[in-house]
Amino acid sequence: MKKGVTLIAAACCAASMLYAQQPADSVSVMTDDNADFTFTESQLDEDNDAAQTVASISSSKSDLYLSDVGYLFSPMRFKVRAYDNAYNQVYMNGLLLNDAELGRFSYGMIGGMNEATRNKESVSGFEPNTFAFAPVGGATSINSRATAFAQGSKLTLSACNRNYLARAMFTHSTGLMDNGWAFAGTVGYRWANEGVIDGTFYNSLSYFLAAEKKIGDRHSLSLVTFGSPTERAQQTAATEEVYWLANSHYYNSNWGYQNGEKRNARVVNDFEPTAILTWDFDIDENKKLVTSAGFKYSMYSTSALGWGGDAYDPRPDYYKNLPSSVFDVWDPNKNNPDYLAENPYLLEQYNTLIEYWTSSEANRQINWDQMYYINRQSELAGGEALYYQERRHNDQMVFSLGSTFNHSINNTHKYALGLQLNTTKGMHYKTMEDLLGGTRYTDIDKFAANDYGMGSIEAQNDLNNPNRMISEGDKFGYDYNIHVNKARLWGQYRYDKARFGLTLAGHMEGTTIERDGLMRNGRAPMNSYGKSGKAGFLGGGGKAIFNYRPAANHRFTLAAGYDAAAPLARNAFVAARMQNNFVNNLRLENISSAELSYAFRFGNFSGKLSGFYSRFDNGVEQTAFYNDQEERFTYLTMSDVSKQHYGLEAAFVYQITSALSVKLIGTFSEAEYINNPYAQLNYEGMDAKTTEQLNVWKNPVTGAEMPLRVIADGIHLSGTPLAAVSLGVDYNVNGWFFSANLNYYDKVYVGFSQYRRLSNVIGNYVAGGIGPDGNLAFDISKAELNEYGGVLFNPEGQVVDTYTAEQEKFDGGFMLDASIGKYIRLKKGRSLSINLSLNNITNNTNMRTGGYEQNRDDYYNTGVARSYRFSKNNRYYYAYAFNAFLNIGYRF
Amino acid sequence: MKKTFQNIFWVMLTALPLSACMDNVDEPNTDDFIITSPTSIGETNYSIAQLKEDKSALFTQTNAFEKIEEDLIIEGVVAANDAGGNLYQTILLRDIDEAAGTDQAIVLGIKNTWLCPYFPLGQRVKVNLKNLYVGCYSKLPKIGQPYYTSSGNLRLGAMLIQLCATNVELVGTPDPSCPECQPKTLDVQWLRASANKNYMNYPMLVTISGTMKEADGEAIFAPEELQDAGYGVDRTLSVKEGNLSTSVTVRTSTQNAVAFTVMPTDKRAYTGLLSYYDSWQIQLRGVDDISAPVE
Repeated sequence: MKKGVTLIAAACCAASMLYAQQPADSVSVMTDDNADFTFTESQLDEDNDAAQTVASISSSKSDLYLSDVGYLFSPMRFKVRAYDNAYNQVYMNGLLLNDAELGRFSYGMIGGMNEATRNKESVSGFEPNTFAFAPVGGATSINSRATAFAQGSKLTLSACNRNYLARAMFTHSTGLMDNGWAFAGTVGYRWANEGVIDGTFYNSLSYFLAAEKKIGDRHSLSLVTFGSPTERAQQTAATEEVYWLANSHYYNSNWGYQNGEKRNARVVNDFEPTAILTWDFDIDENKKLVTSAGFKYSMYSTSALGWGGDAYDPRPDYYKNLPSSVFDVWDPNKNNPDYLAENPYLLEQYNTLIEYWTSSEANRQINWDQMYYINRQSELAGGEALYYQERRHNDQMVFSLGSTFNHSINNTHKYALGLQLNTTKGMHYKTMEDLLGGTRYTDIDKFAANDYGMGSIEAQNDLNNPNRMISEGDKFGYDYNIHVNKARLWGQYRYDKARFGLTLAGHMEGTTIERDGLMRNGRAPMNSYGKSGKAGFLGGGGKAIFNYRPAANHRFTLAAGYDAAAPLARNAFVAARMQNNFVNNLRLENISSAELSYAFRFGNFSGKLSGFYSRFDNGVEQTAFYNDQEERFTYLTMSDVSKQHYGLEAAFVYQITSALSVKLIGTFSEAEYINNPYAQLNYEGMDAKTTEQLNVWKNPVTGAEMPLRVIADGIHLSGTPLAAVSLGVDYNVNGWFFSANLNYYDKVYVGFSQYRRLSNVIGNYVAGGIGPDGNLAFDISKAELNEYGGVLFNPEGQVVDTYTAEQEKFDGGFMLDASIGKYIRLKKGRSLSINLSLNNITNNTNMRTGGYEQNRDDYYNTGVARSYRFSKNNRYYYAYAFNAFLNIGYRF
Repeated sequence: MKKTFQNIFWVMLTALPLSACMDNVDEPNTDDFIITSPTSIGETNYSIAQLKEDKSALFTQTNAFEKIEEDLIIEGVVAANDAGGNLYQTILLRDIDEAAGTDQAIVLGIKNTWLCPYFPLGQRVKVNLKNLYVGCYSKLPKIGQPYYTSSGNLRLGAMLIQLCATNVELVGTPDPSCPECQPKTLDVQWLRASANKNYMNYPMLVTISGTMKEADGEAIFAPEELQDAGYGVDRTLSVKEGNLSTSVTVRTSTQNAVAFTVMPTDKRAYTGLLSYYDSWQIQLRGVDDISAPVE
């Protein structure tokens, strides 16, 4: 005990200096702990409003590949097969917890509850299981019943240098007591006054309480309730020019000094208290029924700066503040000594801005004092606040019910049946967080006021309460509910004989989606207030998994599946913040997938090889963004989206000795758009008539109006390496364990701008005749088409070819990770585990994990090129620099 | 077991204060907030009138500019700014020197969309012209920096706002009732006189009375469908006195309160920034620059 206390004390001292990984009570759980890490930690710094970049991480223990890729590749935000998180399901005690509006599981709801969520089963989309019809991205079932906790107490202390710096968790479990009761609880706290990224902080408490009562031999009732109230400040992506000016790939434009203290404009508040009541009924030895009812009331919000139409954009990295906005630095005809000597004023301004950016840290951050000053001056002059901080709320109330029946008829035949019901009310609104020194603000859309006049109907955000004066805490801008109801029935039959296995599974799912507007928006007065009416979808699908085992340690698997899935509520409305209209072409998404794999063991050498192909058709995707070009909040919806994912996965392990093994894991895949989807554009500040004009694509020959499209054919999916390989070594002896992995990542692409690839934004070219090669001749070269994109028409006005604009592929690179740990058995059943993980040891600060193109094009409406080249200024995220995680667990 | 629950309770209770809100920063005192130089940029050694005289070759052109290499420090009072929304990146500096008998003004272009909090009406301002450019934009005398327009033309535009910290100093506190903020009243004779049509008479804060030619009781000053490449709309102010008449162009940008104001059908006094291209032009600062009906 004394030894343990001494070690903990030493670790606490080190915690203040050191920096991340996970508890490991023994070598055997090391992998699981790390997988747990990727689940609950790396995803927490994602903005739920933006596309979550980490998804579909499986930790299937039966799959050599999937069991490791999750944690191995997590620094690069790896997505298995590049699937979106919405294609992966998470269950707890038999209840589906995925968000019905977004489709995804919110990892924030179980943040800091590692001990409570440790017991889980993860399966790929083509692995038989007992709890779900797993979608193409797989599924995870967490068992968090009180009896699933290890009996006793555990104190875990951690220190790291990531989004939080310190963590403490205490867990206690009574185990199953003689009276049939079991209780367990865990409480944790994660903290960073300032995380590894400047201007970010982390403040999260978590709790998990579980009680279970065994009733007789066959029944058990379990109640769990948990939540993780979290407040965390966010980082944002920046352009390479901005990173260069700040001399860091970890620059964060979200913060600035206020009264000498750092203040972040984008702060997430997240609390999703959840309760699940579960009835386990062991009908007999072979039949089990698990029924759960759950309730969740989630409160998720994120703050952001807002400003009136006349106020200058307060973001420090707004493009007009950048040196490269002065002249086109990408044009060799301008960025050369002769041109600049002829135009010295350009270089003067360029240098002035460089000097401004580099002379003071405060100059490249948000100027809070300036916003306060302007608001106060504005009010002194009789006006109102021009700058403010708003809080965008996405709350939810969810009732759900799940029931699963498993029957093992004998060792050969098994089946499962299940039901999942869910009713979700999503509450979306924004409130005035801070008037930044002001006291008055009128609830009108400032951009619409500029377009239609301050006194116009269009300027009103709520015609039922026109010109409402609001103050801090009041709702404004938009307020609506989204109701989603889902009912799913599924079944699975499993046949398993000595050499053959066959699993057949199917499901049906009904979904309704409805918007209920609580404000009458001036831009859509007739279709914003009240209910939209329900859109209903009946989907379903099935799959077959065939296993062949020619010998004891060899298994071939061939699997195929088809699914028709309802669109997500978040993509279903043209402009959900404003009006009730559903998007066009809203229908079931068709998902076809197939997989062939071979798993083997030859003595000490084991491995798995897989090939997969998936195709998604009729998809609907929506992006919502602040459109710098139009200075408006913009919705852009793509429908009839087709994508394909295919590739190879491999994992090999060679056990050199009982203590030493070498592992090689990798994937090489592709995930891309394979058509030019329909596009629907909507500006929040514009009325229906004006919006209609936006969605026009005129044939350059006939003048006929054609459906607007996004020229996306050939665009790669972003935010994940499509190629990754890891060479690792594991060594463990006498309670010590070491591991080191050298990882290589490649084929990471930037997130593409649909706006820049709209068919009425991208170049349209009409053939001028027949070229010398006998083909149609166009006034643009192939190289230019490949770079800038274009739509080619024949002289009759028919589209003969399309080229999407070039999508940036990031440079590949290596990262070296290692960990060392020691498990110490103490007296009286106590134990101490220490683990130090070192990530990115070579301090590679140039690995881009993701990013996105800016939603503007390079030309004025006059056709003249802008000084600032948006197409050359993508925004990037970089993998963390060298970082460490020290974790100490004391079990008693 | 009771002890265990007590332990859990105390741990949770201890953790709660730790999770107190972190997103809490005191409001700043902005009494001394400025974007201009916090220290003196030097004594005034030049005037707008001198500048116009010395650089007359520039100001007689349509578009021209020249870099100032010396420490020429001028002074003027903000007579027009963007508070009303109709002026863009523009403040009008006016200097009345009774001793010298001059009353001259020039536009100072600053690259920012909301200048009025920093440069309120009646604020006296010193500007060191060194490293800035002077010249004219479409014949309008101006201080700023060159840029390429969205049509690809090289023009004298607004100076970087960052240069205010080195080249601009506020003098005293704003006095909107100062003489420089009082518009000159122009009559039809003055407007018709050819001799007046030169850069020494513009830019200037002026008041002109007349009726809007396009006014029909419904038409607004600047509907978007009529906007030109400069995002503005030109209307005609008819000025009549007795048998004499002339017209003045009223130019309004499309995205501000003036733009959506219905043009009065009766005679009004219009105050704004006067300029001349091929005819007199006035740009109102805001809707308050339209007076009540006048006789």
